[in-house]
Amino acid sequence: MKIAGSFNVAAPVELTWRAITDPQVVGACLPGCEEIEAVSPTLYRARIGVKLGPISATFAAEVEVLEEEPPVRVVSVTRGEEGGRASHIRSENTLTLEPADDGGTRVSYEADMTVTGRLAKFGFGVMKKKAQSLAADFAGNLEARLNEAASGG
Amino acid sequence: MEFIRPDSIDAAVAALQAENAACLAGGATLVAMMNADLVAPERLVSLRDVAALRTAMRQPDGSVVIGAMRRHRETAEETDLRDGQRVLSDAAGQIANPPVRNMGTIGGSCAFADPAADYPPALAAADARIALVGAEGRRTLPADAFFVDWYETALEPGELIESVILPPAPAGTAGSYTKLARVAGDFAIASVALVLGMEGDACSHLAVAVGACGPAPVRRRDVETELLGGGLGDSEIRRLTDALADGLDPVDDVRASADYRRRVAPRLVRQAIAEAKQCLSGTQ
Repeated sequence: MKIAGSFNVAAPVELTWRAITDPQVVGACLPGCEEIEAVSPTLYRARIGVKLGPISATFAAEVEVLEEEPPVRVVSVTRGEEGGRASHIRSENTLTLEPADDGGTRVSYEADMTVTGRLAKFGFGVMKKKAQSLAADFAGNLEARLNEAASGG
Repeated sequence: MEFIRPDSIDAAVAALQAENAACLAGGATLVAMMNADLVAPERLVSLRDVAALRTAMRQPDGSVVIGAMRRHRETAEETDLRDGQRVLSDAAGQIANPPVRNMGTIGGSCAFADPAADYPPALAAADARIALVGAEGRRTLPADAFFVDWYETALEPGELIESVILPPAPAGTAGSYTKLARVAGDFAIASVALVLGMEGDACSHLAVAVGACGPAPVRRRDVETELLGGGLGDSEIRRLTDALADGLDPVDDVRASADYRRRVAPRLVRQAIAEAKQCLSGTQ
């Protein structure tokens, strides 16, 4: 399942890069992220809860940074599993930052995700919509945070 | 897992006030989801013995209150639904197959809110309200406000659906449900619920809801209102289908691609209106 999209934030590329590669900022902006810790500069662990209608799942996820090209591109892989090994998620992600015309930043993302286990019994069509709405929420939260940082000096 | 079988609405609401409790209505969906390990309620509150949820009543003003535990088969055969209200019975008769229609309930279907289910667009076109009851008391919501997002409704934890209320439909209106599916009884690729009234060549009532093409049924009341009083010709229908198309947000799934759904939905609207007009002119 491929998910792609982009959003603009008002902050310049350097500032956006720092925010988007800071696990604490990402954790705070990601809906359902219960905790996040940096194990090493290229490995993060997180607990993420997702809800789709009556179905709730909590994943222990690991994000490994494979390639980094500051401040414009980062490639990572996310592996997640539910307690009891009921479902697995694996996602290869590419995040690209480029300057926007208004001095802000255009953030583009692409993820190729596979889901196995119990959650795969549920339609991918709706899962994709859910992933897109989570991405939109993330973008909104990040934007708000960057704006707050900018106005706070 | 705990299983509770209350015999009144109050007792059912009381039993629902627990962590991870769920209502068991007909079980057509919930039990399948439990078997697939997708949900695991710790407390099941069966509504089977709550007699007050099993009735359908036509009120003096012509509205019809359908209890949450009414089976699809009962709603399909409901003689209290008249004129445009028939949109709901038409939809009920097209749900799945006889065993499921004997088992599934209107409350259960609404609570699950499958975006491709048949009731949501029919309820939207009928201007139905959903009556909810919880520990805080009762409230009713229009169908538009009840179906919130993909598989998400306005139901709060500890709340249950008591009934679905269909307002009276103007005399002489026709209600129909047009469904495109791969095989009879499957979930819809796209569907159209329609309530139409014509006085001569002029449109006197129009409600069109598109199902299975977004998280919730799609209606364009603004355009419906603009079209009242005029002839419902090709250009008017085109205005409506163009407006509806803007609101569609279909998924790609095993039944059809999102693109296909976008293509087919306006055609279903045209087909539904043409058939309803023909049906109305035959009765006048």
